[in-house]
Amino acid sequence: MSLIEAVTIPKWGMTMTEGKITQWMIGEGGSVTRGQEILEIETTKVTNVLEAAASGTLRQIVLAEGTTAPVGALAGVIADESATQAEIDAFIQSYADRIGSGEEGEGGASLPRKVSVAGGSLNLLEAGEPSDDIVLFLHGFGGDLTTWLFNQPVLAETMRTIAVDLPGHGDSSPVVGSNVVDEIAIAIEEAVTPIASGKIHLVAHSFGGAIAAALAARLPSRIGSLTLIAPIGLSKEMSRDFLTDFIAAERRRPLQAVLERLFADPSKITNDMVEGTLRFKRLEGVAEALSAIADAIAGDTGQKQSIGATLSALSCPVTLIWGDQDQIVPVPQQGEIPANATFVTIPQAGHMPQMEAAAIVNNAIIKTIAQAGT
Amino acid sequence: MAKKSFRQALNDALHSEMARDPRVIMMGEDLTGGAGANGVKDAWGGPFGVTRGLLGAFGPDRVRDTPISEAAFIGAAAGAALTGLRPIAEIMFVDFAGVCLDQIMNQAAKFRYMFGGRAKTPLVIRATYGAGSRSGSQHTQALHAIFTHIPGLKVVIPSNPYDAKGLLLQAIRDDDPVIFLEHKMLYDTVGEVPDASYTIPFGEARVVRDGKDVVIIAVGRMVSVAEDAARSLAAEGISASIVDPRTTSPLDEDTLVEVTEKIGRVVIVDEGNPRCGVAADISALLADQCFDALKAPIKLVTAPHTPVPYAPNLEDAYVPTPDAVIKAVKSIVKR
Repeated sequence: MSLIEAVTIPKWGMTMTEGKITQWMIGEGGSVTRGQEILEIETTKVTNVLEAAASGTLRQIVLAEGTTAPVGALAGVIADESATQAEIDAFIQSYADRIGSGEEGEGGASLPRKVSVAGGSLNLLEAGEPSDDIVLFLHGFGGDLTTWLFNQPVLAETMRTIAVDLPGHGDSSPVVGSNVVDEIAIAIEEAVTPIASGKIHLVAHSFGGAIAAALAARLPSRIGSLTLIAPIGLSKEMSRDFLTDFIAAERRRPLQAVLERLFADPSKITNDMVEGTLRFKRLEGVAEALSAIADAIAGDTGQKQSIGATLSALSCPVTLIWGDQDQIVPVPQQGEIPANATFVTIPQAGHMPQMEAAAIVNNAIIKTIAQAGT
Repeated sequence: MAKKSFRQALNDALHSEMARDPRVIMMGEDLTGGAGANGVKDAWGGPFGVTRGLLGAFGPDRVRDTPISEAAFIGAAAGAALTGLRPIAEIMFVDFAGVCLDQIMNQAAKFRYMFGGRAKTPLVIRATYGAGSRSGSQHTQALHAIFTHIPGLKVVIPSNPYDAKGLLLQAIRDDDPVIFLEHKMLYDTVGEVPDASYTIPFGEARVVRDGKDVVIIAVGRMVSVAEDAARSLAAEGISASIVDPRTTSPLDEDTLVEVTEKIGRVVIVDEGNPRCGVAADISALLADQCFDALKAPIKLVTAPHTPVPYAPNLEDAYVPTPDAVIKAVKSIVKR
């Protein structure tokens, strides 16, 4: 019996409905090992690579480079040598019939919604199995909930997840007040605690890490675990230039140069990511809101936030993840890492390992949550 | 985020800026329904519906109907700008610029220079342009090349609702005379437009689509023609980039040079006539600065050197189509 495996457009990100194939990394007829990178696909954020789910030969490429297709569409066929061309053709035909029949892709596309908070609204995207416990994703400076494009869908397979746009980012209204970190934490607490009565497993990036620590200090009994990716607040050093340059860049080329500093492999950045960031930054009030946050993050003498003590006092599992080529918030020194934290270094990743090394980050998150027990 | 029409996006910009800045005034033909007539005020919201509601919100002193007298009211707008107001004057069809060209070319465009930098002219002239509405040779031209040629003028040509709002807000806040050209056939097109205000800098091109085989440079309504062509080309395995300069003056030369050096094959599509047009202008720039990177001649897809026809079938043959763009692309990608 021949083994025929479909290579399909994956669903990365809860709102992703289609993907653009930028490069086949194997030619037709090439041999493929399970786990091998075979297909590069462009999303609204970065290009990412699909791994083969089976070993065999790439018998046929169905969708060529440059094609955009819906999530779930058949892009290619992997099969062992014993499969006949007739069997391959029949397999491809069965896929065409399936898509044509109007069957919904698995999960459908979730939509974000706004929740009222004091002073405005918070935009959030919920996905996953119903549960009292949630995984709460907090993005970083200048980002939005789509930071978790490659992470939220994976966690949503087995858990209830909520990704928020921090106040002043994405579609969430800004906070006012002198203590930006506290104001943001209060807004998130106000939005999330009524809709999640169980444990909150925090997954946070960079500036979001300071918000996660603030939430853990405010609601210690509600927090199930913390997974912090390159958080601010552990060491003194960080690239303050990144913050000022990000705010100052009003045109595509300078902004692209700034965004490239986030990644170990800058070629992953897509035009859509730059354009989307520009559109956000142009909105009235955004520059001021970002400046207020930048001032809270770092001054002339280095980082202003300090989360080490808060993390050390926690009894729940704490994991820190860092790319070893992080140019923005460098890997902290040994003495700056809380003793109770598990530290995961990811080689050849920059400041956004949740995008550049999504699989490793997802596994670390799942492991941390599992350590929390019941 | 809300989906709004190009027309609604412009209306948004006008409402918000007039509310924010009391120096902003508007003048033009039929903006408020005809001041001399006994009819209903603001019945249409302006000849193309763009100024709906402004009379009610800001009153007849700030939103003024004018007689059919372009030379007079464009001149008045230029003078108003010199004295500290921020006027937005409308030329109903850009073809009528012929009537007031002295006020635009010899007056408004020259004031800052001739008064030694001691005068500024924060004037916006909005005008409709372009073919497709069966309006004949005197109501359908695309004259952006003429304005681009004149130093002292800025020339802005939005291709979609999002850009329309951001570029118009930028134009009103700009201290120089801006010719803001709105393609008649784009008013009903729809896109995501934020409710908040935002500005898009001039001289900043948008990379509409990323591809590797050819770059298609397009302005105004030709951007959507290029998008249609690129979709067909993708189905045949040809991957096209599309760049929209947004403003022909100032022109984002850096982006155009950057994409040309990366890709090496260029097609420029423009609705203007070919002689001394924007397509020829960009082509000369790229041929000079990117000669060694070019792998094929630069192809220009423009209207022919004729007036715009009135007969519908001839008007359709006049305007560059996706097929014409595809043909031009294919003539250079095999080299």
